[in-house]
Amino acid sequence: MISPSFSSLTRRTFLRNSAVASAALSLPTILPSRLFGQNAPSRKITLGFIGTGNIAQPHMEALLGFDDVRILAVCDVDKAHRDTAVAKINAGYGNQDCRSYNDFRELVARPDIDAVLICTPDNWHALNAIEAMRNGKDVYVEKPLTLTIKEGRELVAAARKYQRVAQTGTQQRSSKRFHDVAEFIRNGGMGKLERIEVLIPANNKYTGATWKPEAVPAGLDWDMWLGPAPWAPFNRQSCHYNFRFILDYAAGQVTNWGAHYLDIAQWALGMDESGPVEVIGDGEFPTSGLFSTATKVDFTCRYATGVSLRCRTRYDGISDGNVRFFGERGWVDVSRAKTTASDPALVTEITAQSGKGATKLAVSTNHHDNFLQSIRSRARPISDVEFGHRTTTVCNLGNIAMQLKRKLRWDPVKEQFIDDNVANRMRERSMRGPWSLA
Amino acid sequence: MAEKSIVGPRPKASQDPFRAYEEWFVASPDPWLEIIKLDHGTDRTFGTTVRSMVMNAEPDQRPAMEKRLLQALASPGITDVGRTFVCRQLALIGSSACVPAVAALLRDPATVDAARYALDGIDDPAVDAAYRTSLDVLKDRAKAGLIGSIAMRRDAQAIPALHAIAAKATEPTEVRTAATRALERLNGKA
Repeated sequence: MISPSFSSLTRRTFLRNSAVASAALSLPTILPSRLFGQNAPSRKITLGFIGTGNIAQPHMEALLGFDDVRILAVCDVDKAHRDTAVAKINAGYGNQDCRSYNDFRELVARPDIDAVLICTPDNWHALNAIEAMRNGKDVYVEKPLTLTIKEGRELVAAARKYQRVAQTGTQQRSSKRFHDVAEFIRNGGMGKLERIEVLIPANNKYTGATWKPEAVPAGLDWDMWLGPAPWAPFNRQSCHYNFRFILDYAAGQVTNWGAHYLDIAQWALGMDESGPVEVIGDGEFPTSGLFSTATKVDFTCRYATGVSLRCRTRYDGISDGNVRFFGERGWVDVSRAKTTASDPALVTEITAQSGKGATKLAVSTNHHDNFLQSIRSRARPISDVEFGHRTTTVCNLGNIAMQLKRKLRWDPVKEQFIDDNVANRMRERSMRGPWSLA
Repeated sequence: MAEKSIVGPRPKASQDPFRAYEEWFVASPDPWLEIIKLDHGTDRTFGTTVRSMVMNAEPDQRPAMEKRLLQALASPGITDVGRTFVCRQLALIGSSACVPAVAALLRDPATVDAARYALDGIDDPAVDAAYRTSLDVLKDRAKAGLIGSIAMRRDAQAIPALHAIAAKATEPTEVRTAATRALERLNGKA
């Protein structure tokens, strides 16, 4: 977003003038990149973090290593996380400039921040991202993109309306291994594709049939942590990391790992802006206790082409997923660790064919850099939010089907179930006041 | 030759204290009665049973399910968690039939969110009317949340009231902001 009023302003003039303003505001004198045009060599992209816990840490560490990036601020409703993040960033830059916020709305209101990374629990993603984009920020949203199908469509609409770059944190698309397999499948390398099988790690966490509310730790703004979710008392098992096993905040391993591996299946199928037409599931959910997401995942989608995609829990203890494509020539299987195939020659062929097929998938070797390059070029990133939304939709279709335990027909154009009112109502959730997607 | 029973017909519980005790001992509680006692951290197995029944009900069975949910909602002593639970089941199968009972919850800031969970997905002008009426009663974040529901339901009849709220200096910022954003959406600008 380049303001016309700045287009004829030299960087030096602006720096001189803004230094006074910055001093008055007591803000760091790093200037947002949009003020200098897309190709200014000395421009830095200014970032903020919303959510600084578990998954934010590697993002910070990586982005501190980019010379053309400055992280100016962080937001977290847990002061302990917030302070740790500020210390890490200040140590990285050797200064004391990083500011911190409890309320994300204050961070995204800062005019000197170009983009934000959203690393909050899933129930917050849509609200964080939409508010950031409304304030002119580009966004990198951790997977799964949103908690519900409705939120995902609203998030995509906001990205288009405000013309923001919006990257989903499905970083496997920036891996050559996954790229090459997806491109190979897309170009018919396995002959006619018959089916796809995805394995995701088990959720083996169990806290008992009952639990007790606990005192909210000092420094944690619990009401803000809950945000749009129904009110519930604090329990340490329901907060950091483990929130993903509670349906009010997340959708379990289906979205935690499925968001990565179903994404590769969608990519390989050319379904980045569409999805399956049918889903049936038979998962198992805890009948009591704090955790409520599926402990056993098993659902199957069918695409209009006839290809089926089955996603289920693995019980071999491996903390990774994998996606296996079955076609006329056998099977090929890809995970973060390796690519294997029914015939080892296929693995060699996949590498050799990379970039040579009629259909060439977008290439990225670094998910952060892809986002930063997109901020400069205004091109859509490799994991554009539409793609992230469509993959998250597959996850959510599976979760809904596993709960309803009946075959559901899905219209990927209208994004609604056919002749199933209950399923359609499960596409969205009301938000606790004052929060709203509006 | 058929073997003769050595037990014979059992007496009714009302005639046999042991039979009455035995029936009490093995009886499983009615989950529809148990859900009104739900609380944070307690065993929610009965809730899971009810939810399964609600989700798996055939369309022609849903009115009966809805009726039982409304009976639970009207139960004296229903807990806050029980009320929210019932409303979230009505969010799945609720119809026009539940609007009067649930709309009564809109006027209390302690129950308005639960009521919106049930009503937001029901395509009935009576819901919109109830929401508009409640705008005058609620304050602060409860009011902002209700305005959000009005916006998402695209109730154009609420536009005059929303204009008034957006322009009212005495309204809290979050309420005025909610009204402004609702108007953007209702005017097709959001």
